[in-house]
Amino acid sequence: MAPNETNSSRSPTAIWLRQDFVGGLVVIAVALFAFWQAADLPIGTLGGMGPGMLPKSLAVLFGLLGAALVLDSFLETSLPLEPWSIRGPVLVALAIVAFGLTVRPLGLVVAGPLAIVIAAFASDEVHWVETIVVGVLMTAVCVGLFKFALGLPIPLAPWLIGY
Amino acid sequence: MFDLIGNLGLGFATALSPVNLLLAFVGCLVGTLIGVLPGIGPIATIAMLLPLTFKVDPTGALIMLAGIYYGAQYGGSTTAILVNIPGEATSVVTTLDGHAMAKKGQAGIALGIAAIGSFFAGTVATLVIAAIGAPLTKLALLFGPAEYFGLMVLGLGLAIVLARGSVLKAVIMVVFGLLLATVGQDLETGQERLTLGFDDLADGIDFAVLAMGVFGIAEILRNLESPETRNVVKGHIGRLLPSLADLRRSFGPIVRATGLGSALGILPGNGAVLAPFASYTLEKKLAKDPSRFGKGAIEGVAGPEAANNAGAQTAFIPLLTLGIPPNAVMALMVGAMTIHGVIPGPLVMTKSPSLFWGMIASMWIGNLMLLIINLPLIGLWVRLLKVPYRLLFIMILLFCCIGIYSINNNPSDVYFMAFFGLVGYVLIKLGLEAAPMLLGFVLGRLMEEKLRQALALSEGSFMTFVERPVSAALLLLALAIMVIAVLPTVRKGREEAFQE
Repeated sequence: MAPNETNSSRSPTAIWLRQDFVGGLVVIAVALFAFWQAADLPIGTLGGMGPGMLPKSLAVLFGLLGAALVLDSFLETSLPLEPWSIRGPVLVALAIVAFGLTVRPLGLVVAGPLAIVIAAFASDEVHWVETIVVGVLMTAVCVGLFKFALGLPIPLAPWLIGY
Repeated sequence: MFDLIGNLGLGFATALSPVNLLLAFVGCLVGTLIGVLPGIGPIATIAMLLPLTFKVDPTGALIMLAGIYYGAQYGGSTTAILVNIPGEATSVVTTLDGHAMAKKGQAGIALGIAAIGSFFAGTVATLVIAAIGAPLTKLALLFGPAEYFGLMVLGLGLAIVLARGSVLKAVIMVVFGLLLATVGQDLETGQERLTLGFDDLADGIDFAVLAMGVFGIAEILRNLESPETRNVVKGHIGRLLPSLADLRRSFGPIVRATGLGSALGILPGNGAVLAPFASYTLEKKLAKDPSRFGKGAIEGVAGPEAANNAGAQTAFIPLLTLGIPPNAVMALMVGAMTIHGVIPGPLVMTKSPSLFWGMIASMWIGNLMLLIINLPLIGLWVRLLKVPYRLLFIMILLFCCIGIYSINNNPSDVYFMAFFGLVGYVLIKLGLEAAPMLLGFVLGRLMEEKLRQALALSEGSFMTFVERPVSAALLLLALAIMVIAVLPTVRKGREEAFQE
C-alpha cells in the first residue's frame, strides 16, 4: 500500500484511501497467504481429488476476485476508508485473551472480574468503583448460573477450593 | 392426512411433558433476555446460550434451543420497537413503524401486535413444516451428490443476490467462507490443510467460535466506536392489547406476510431475510394511504413481524429434510444437534420420530409461550434497555467468553474468538458483509464432500452435473439469478429496494 504509486489526485478520495482498493489488496494478500500455506498439498485429479485441490483453486479464485475489487475501485466511486480505532479492539481482545489465560489455572472467580476490568477500559468512560462492583456481581451470577444451576465443568477457583 | 395428525399427536405428546415444557419456557425466557440486549442478534445469542443445553437429553435440548431461537428473534423486535436499534437485519423494517408507534405512546400496541402476528405466523409455519416435511424427506432420499451440490450452489447464489451492497463483494465473502471451510484435516486423507501448525485447528474452525467472533465481538467493537444514542422510549408503554380496529387492520397484512414468509423461508440461502422487506413493500403498495407508513402504521409492524417469524420457522425445512442449513442460525442448530449425536438430514424423521415431531410441536408451544411470557415482562425489558452500554458490553463479553469456553472446555476457542472478532472488525471497516461468508463456511465442507463424491462417481467429468436433470436445473437456476442480479436495470432496482 505504498502511497506514492498513483497520481489520481482529481478524484475526491485518493485511491489508497478508498475502502474497496484497500479491501481488494487485503483479499489478495489473504489469497496469497492461503496459496502459500497449501503449496505442499497434492492436487490429485478431478476424479480423485487430493487435499490441495480445493484450497488451491479457492485461493486462486479469491485472489482474482480481490484483483477485480481493486480494479473496480478505480472505476467506480468507492467509499473512503473510515477512521479505525485502536483502543476498543486492542482492549477487548486483551480482555478475552486474559480470560482464556486465567480461566484454567485461576478459575472463573479470577478470570471473570479480570476480563471485565480490562474490557471496561475499551469504553471512553471508565468508572472504577462501578466496574469492580459489576465485575464481582456478574461473576457471582455466572458462577451461580453456569456452575451450580447448569453444572458446566468450568473451573471456579482451583487454587483455593480445588475445582 | 391421518399421518399428519398422528405425527403431530406424537409431537405434542413429547413436547407437552412437564420437563420439555419447562425447557421450552426457560429457552424462550433466556433467549428473549439476551436477545433484547442491543447489538446482539439471534446468532450471537444462540452461540452464547448453547452450553445451557448440554446437560439435557437430545430432544429436550432441541426443544430448548428452538425456544432460545424464538426468544432471540422476539427480543430483537422488542429492541427495534423500543430503542430503534435493530438486533439483526430482519428487524430493520420493524424499527420504521414500530419505533414511530412507540414515540406516539403506542409501544405496547406495537409489541402486542408483533407478538400476535408472530404467533399466527408461527402456527401456520408449524403446519407447513409438518405437512411438507415428510414428502420432502422422501425426495431428499433420491438426491445424489450431484443434486446436493447443485442445491447448495443455488443456496450460495441466493445468498449473494440477497446480500446488501455490491454483488462482487458478496461473492468475495462467499469464497472467503468456502476457503475458511477447507481449514482442517482433509476429508479423505486426513492430511492437515491450512492449519498453520495449530493442533486446535485440525478439526477445522469451530462454527460457533467464528460466528461469535464476527457477529458478537465485532459488533461490540463497532458499537464502542459510535457514541451512544439510545433513546429508550420514555414513560408509558400504553396498553398492550390492540383494539378491534387495529386487529382488523392488521389481519390482512399478517395473513399475506405469513404466506410470503413461509415461502421465502424454505429457500436455501437465507430467503427468510427477504421476507420482512417484501411484506413491508407489499403492504405499502396495497395501502390506501401509503404516506402513513414510516409514521407509525400498524400494518408496517404486523406484516414484517409475521413474515419474519414465518420465515424463521420454515427455515428449519431445508435443515430437517435435506440436512442443508439455509442460514447461519440453522448452522448453529447443526452444531448443537451434532453435539447431541443427531445428524440433521432426511434420516432424522425416520430414525427418531419423537425427536423430529416433538421439536416441530414445540415450535408452536414456543410461539405461544412468547405471547404469554413477553407481554407481562415488557416493563422488565424496558428497564434492561436503560442500562448504559459501558456496563452492558462488559457483561455481554463475559457471557461470550464463558459460553465459548464451555462448548469444548478449551481456552484456545476463546483466543480464536478474539481473533475472529478482530477479523470481523476489519471486515466492517472494509464494508464487507459477514453473513455471506458464514453461509459459505457452513456449506463449504458439505459441498466439498458432495463435489468429490460426484466427480469420483463420474470419473472426473463435470458433465455429470449437466446430464442429471435435477442438478442441471438447480445449477441453471443459480446461474440465472446471478446473471439477473448483475444486469444493470435489476441492479438499480435492487439498490433502491435495499435503500427503502
